[in-house]
Amino acid sequence: MRDLRDMFVIARREFLERVRSKWFAVITVLGPIGMVAMVLVPALIAGQGADGAKVEIVDRSGVIGKPLFDKLAQARWKPAVVPAETPDRIEMDRIRDHKINGFVTIPADALGGGQILYRGDNASSQVVQVTLHQLVSQVVQAERGKLAGIPQDKLDAVLARPNFDAQHTNGETEGASGMASFLIAYMLAFILYMVITLYGVGVMRSVVQEKTSRVMELMVATVKPRSLMAGKILGVGGAGLVQITVWLAMGAITLAYREQILGAFGVTGGGPALPSIAFGEVAIVLLYFILGFFFYASIYAAVGAMVSSEQDTQQVQMPVTMLLVIGVLCLQMISNDPRGSASAIMTMVPFWSSMLMPMRYVLGGATLGEVAISIAILVVSTVLIARAAAKIYRVGVLMYGKRPGVRELIRWLRY
Amino acid sequence: MTPALVVRGLVKAFGNHVAVDDISFEVPRGVVYGILGPNGAGKSTTLRMINDIFAPDAGEIVVLDGLRPGSEAAQQIGYLPEERGLYPKMKVAEMIEFIGELRGLARAEARRRTGAWLDRLGLAQWGSNKVQDLSKGMQQKVQFATALIHEPQLVILDEPWSGLDPINAEVLREVVDEIRASGRTVLFSTHQMEQAEKVVDSVCIIARGKKILDGNLKDLKQREAADGLVSLGFGDAASRATADALLADRALVADRRAPRAGDVADCEVKLADGVTAQQLLAALVTAGVSVRRFEVVVPTLHQIFVDRVGASATVAERRPEVA
Repeated sequence: MRDLRDMFVIARREFLERVRSKWFAVITVLGPIGMVAMVLVPALIAGQGADGAKVEIVDRSGVIGKPLFDKLAQARWKPAVVPAETPDRIEMDRIRDHKINGFVTIPADALGGGQILYRGDNASSQVVQVTLHQLVSQVVQAERGKLAGIPQDKLDAVLARPNFDAQHTNGETEGASGMASFLIAYMLAFILYMVITLYGVGVMRSVVQEKTSRVMELMVATVKPRSLMAGKILGVGGAGLVQITVWLAMGAITLAYREQILGAFGVTGGGPALPSIAFGEVAIVLLYFILGFFFYASIYAAVGAMVSSEQDTQQVQMPVTMLLVIGVLCLQMISNDPRGSASAIMTMVPFWSSMLMPMRYVLGGATLGEVAISIAILVVSTVLIARAAAKIYRVGVLMYGKRPGVRELIRWLRY
Repeated sequence: MTPALVVRGLVKAFGNHVAVDDISFEVPRGVVYGILGPNGAGKSTTLRMINDIFAPDAGEIVVLDGLRPGSEAAQQIGYLPEERGLYPKMKVAEMIEFIGELRGLARAEARRRTGAWLDRLGLAQWGSNKVQDLSKGMQQKVQFATALIHEPQLVILDEPWSGLDPINAEVLREVVDEIRASGRTVLFSTHQMEQAEKVVDSVCIIARGKKILDGNLKDLKQREAADGLVSLGFGDAASRATADALLADRALVADRRAPRAGDVADCEVKLADGVTAQQLLAALVTAGVSVRRFEVVVPTLHQIFVDRVGASATVAERRPEVA
């Protein structure tokens, strides 16, 4: 009873210390904005890459130059057709002197399969590559059609883009845009990874700081180290839970009003169909966050107890970080094949289930039964890890200076 | 009434090093009890075992009414650790309240008493500052408040004078006197004998993990005085010469040394076994020595300590006592 009260008093202190700090407010509010920015900014920058690109066309076929010029001008590039006999050397010099971005060389036999080559300082840009490839293909196909004597209206009908879409489903759920499903699930997993890492490391740092500020001796004289560790994890985790809840709420609101928001930016139509996130899915995300956090926080607390300064933590936490990174690397695998056996195995292993299972479930790859089994495994292993961590913590918190070896750690576990 | 603390046959080793080697002592209620010893004697290790920070390898600790070290005993104990340390980012008042709550006070009560302690220690206007914004001396006071906030029956202070300026040392002495006056018990450790002598009722001297002696300070002093240490002063040069010859007699005087610094005596002698101070005085008078000063020396705690532990053990600790 007393231990429980101690634990809550300690948890309250840890929680308030975090929630009251300016950084907490800043990260809570700006975190999602930052995440969105991380996705959007590169896309925007990439999109800008092609606008106004100065491209010269060396047309030795005599037919492709003009229509390609029109298409490029439509795409708001700044094309120019130069005489067909212009040698490459001169064009290369113009690139070197920043006169143009690049030039397209169209050989005489372009319609018959000769290679159309673009050389330019922006050829590494995805947008430039895709745009040029598309436009050149359209022009070449249209010219081939003319050469074959196909009337313009029939040609347009043949060349019209087919309407294609990919939707994600497991046979039970309604189809949703594959891309959007992946993005949502990926975001969830990534948020879990970030919060678990952020707050797990927070627990570790908090333990190390108690050592460096020497308050540890007062604390272990006052309460059981077990209560201290549990309170710390609870308090730090509580702060994390507040943060992830705010983030999820912001995400949900954004999704609910996304048409209005997109409209404000001048985008109409609302973009691709998003998978709806049900309350049950949110509950599972939060449950996995809590369990995953307790699991990793216990490990991090033990790591904190093993070292005596912030510098030392870098090395000792490496194996833990590796475990988490393996989880992140598996995200792609889960999203590619949520129902595959590798996915099934990874979402059962406690090191990774907290990160991967919510994604797999949202993608419809796991049944509720599988979720239940994975949660059970995670709960049992969290209890075991927490017990072991408490023992390491009990002995380790007052160690200053030397770091224990593996043999010594095993001895601590037997205490 | 049960003693405030009973320690029996306490042993604690770290690897091959035996830090505490079969130490026993008993602290009665309502006294100020000092554990004295040079650095590395095992004082802090002993106090840590009483505070349930280390588990003893052998022996027994009974706190107050039959409690073992642990969370129940912790409610009755106040502790000033040798490693001073507080949460640097916490507000001063909240830090004290926090420990008060963990030591069993209700939150409102902890808050009320914190206010009183901040006033008492002259920190009233610092309550809402962060601990890290305070000077070392002020942090020291906050640390004291965390040890006393819950009015514990047993107050354990590990090296309480280290880092204290003379004014705060005086505040500490007042607080210790108050605790004793209210019938509660203080157990402290130090190597600063002069500070200890001003406040202790009883002591336990330990060195290299072993107990050297313990008991009531007055009894100890009388016992040591009975060993026959006499401080002498002579009227003139002729008397001094006469006395020198007399004091060289090994049957009468076992040892002769220079007077202590600041003493106006000519010399200090230790009587041979079986010789009383009375006999020495008679011998001097008979020889016609003009005696200006004749005092049976009651040794200071420091002297007892040096005599028993050996001067070598205290060399390192001398400096702070002078300062």
